[in-house]
Amino acid sequence: MAIIVSFVLLGIGILALVLRRDLVIKLLALGLVNASSILFLVSIGNRPGGRAPIQSPGEIAILVDPLPQALVLSAIVVNFAILALALVFVMILVERYHTTDAQRIEHEMSQETDEEETPCL
Amino acid sequence: MPLILLPLLRFLIAILSITLSRARRPLAVLSHVVDAALLAWLAVSLARGVPAALTLSGASTGVGISLIGDRIAITFSALAWGLSLAANIYVWKDRLRPYFFLLMHLLVGACYALAFTMDLFNSYLLFELLTLVSFLLVGYGRQPRQIWASLRYLILSSFGMTLFLFGVGIVYAHCGTLDVDVLRPVVAASAGEPWVLLSAALLTAGVSVKAGIFVFSLWLPAAHARAMPPVSALLSGVVIKMGVLELFRLADVFPLRLPLIVLGSITGVLGIAYAVATHDIKKMLAFHTLSQIGYVLIGFGADTQVARLGALAYAVAHGLFKALLFLSVGDAAAHAGGSELPRLIEGKAKIPWGARIALLIGTLGIVGLPPLAGFDAKAILEDGLPSLGLHIVVWLLSVGTVVSFSKFVPFLFARSTCRTQRPHAWAYGWLGGLILAFWPLSVLMTSTSLCLHALGPMHLLESLAILLAGGGAYALVRRRLPVSLPDRIFHLEESPLIILLGFFLVFALLLVGAPG
Repeated sequence: MAIIVSFVLLGIGILALVLRRDLVIKLLALGLVNASSILFLVSIGNRPGGRAPIQSPGEIAILVDPLPQALVLSAIVVNFAILALALVFVMILVERYHTTDAQRIEHEMSQETDEEETPCL
Repeated sequence: MPLILLPLLRFLIAILSITLSRARRPLAVLSHVVDAALLAWLAVSLARGVPAALTLSGASTGVGISLIGDRIAITFSALAWGLSLAANIYVWKDRLRPYFFLLMHLLVGACYALAFTMDLFNSYLLFELLTLVSFLLVGYGRQPRQIWASLRYLILSSFGMTLFLFGVGIVYAHCGTLDVDVLRPVVAASAGEPWVLLSAALLTAGVSVKAGIFVFSLWLPAAHARAMPPVSALLSGVVIKMGVLELFRLADVFPLRLPLIVLGSITGVLGIAYAVATHDIKKMLAFHTLSQIGYVLIGFGADTQVARLGALAYAVAHGLFKALLFLSVGDAAAHAGGSELPRLIEGKAKIPWGARIALLIGTLGIVGLPPLAGFDAKAILEDGLPSLGLHIVVWLLSVGTVVSFSKFVPFLFARSTCRTQRPHAWAYGWLGGLILAFWPLSVLMTSTSLCLHALGPMHLLESLAILLAGGGAYALVRRRLPVSLPDRIFHLEESPLIILLGFFLVFALLLVGAPG
């Protein structure tokens, strides 16, 4: 079930990434796409009736696979870094062009010649 | 031991270079000396027939993270070392913020680690690190177009890497391991099964976004053309190659022969078409990066030992001449006042003589004049191609490259009035020397008999014929240039869709090539 949900989230994320012109929404969509991969990784480590992988001595229990859970920790950190840095660059662009619309930014940028370019900060 | 020391020492020096920012130049020298010694150590182990190998976290192979110093890994890390040295020399006297050096060290360290690792998830993390570092380096100048180019790069790379992560998940679910060596027999035993095709398509599509392949890496022309020259040189010369290296590793596990050949041909032809059509020389070089990756993919996809060695040698040769071209075009554009062809022709007297010689050597290298780097590597690659069809594609690409680089002729020769800055001259000398002396280097990378065969009369005649054909074709199309080709595909809206289409293409090709 969780695997299906992760693919649905991936689809929604891609749709938003393609269809929405607003850069902040695009980044949220990217966050959704990334989150879907994390959900997918966690769900493949699942065992029916499995418990959290913390084993007490002498106890025999069905545990979920701990490796994907360890992997997603790193993936979550990386995705956070990417979103944070991307938002900083979006802020810099907004300060200059006063819009978060990707098409308008691309249009206004194409109107500028190289001489008119000045550093943003 | 050197396998772990190479990346870790770079990361350590990266941190030191920002905390002790006054010592960043001695630290840069130190890092290159230490890396050279460690790389030599690895090369000696390989020459003795025992490639260095290490499994981290003390666990057995298949559970721990294994690192290996095989031929591919050492070649690509030596390329990273050589280009990092050139870039550091180039910016020796420039006034740059200390974090620039931090990023450069992190970039090279991540390249080393990526070259050695055999673990798919480890590769994912290192790719993401490379993405973040390259993103900051592209946007370093804070020009709006640089920022826009790097933002697009970040979004598309991250999207591609998510596809890769899905592939990693499927592989882990079925094999219980992510080690490439352990995966090989497991995947071979289940050849043609749906999960193999799906994971192979996801992993290939994800890596292709980073590897400079036309339908996937549509962020590349803007990012490489807009970045500072030393950054473009490193991105085009080595960072792109890390994606190619990962494709090499994946091709050892999954049946990627057909996808590599088709993607190689597509990226080669479309890259050349866009390169010929544009008059912005920096953009042209970026499009050529896309097209030149075509040779490497075709060589590796051809699946013969000789073609694979040729592809490896071509990847190194491309790294060298593309880095030299980006550095010298950047220098020329800074003096002439722009990288547009008319601007360069108009200001040709202002281009320093050093940049002019570097441009000439780089151009002769990329068009394949014997016995420079491009000729030698391409000849080895062609010797390994099994079918006439692949030979024809390679000839077409070579003629297209000559047509495109013929645009350099009008501004290459003039009386210079500007002197070359000394650090720039040293960087040109280092890279130009390697291009001129590529033949002995290729003996180290491949074998003496292959390299001697590459210098045969047939290859010499072929390269001269290609040069003549390309020059003639340029004379015919010159007046019709520049042509505007569709550029909507490079917009942020369309790119994710095109990456998805590319994924379906790879999946279809895998399906066609699957047994039964």
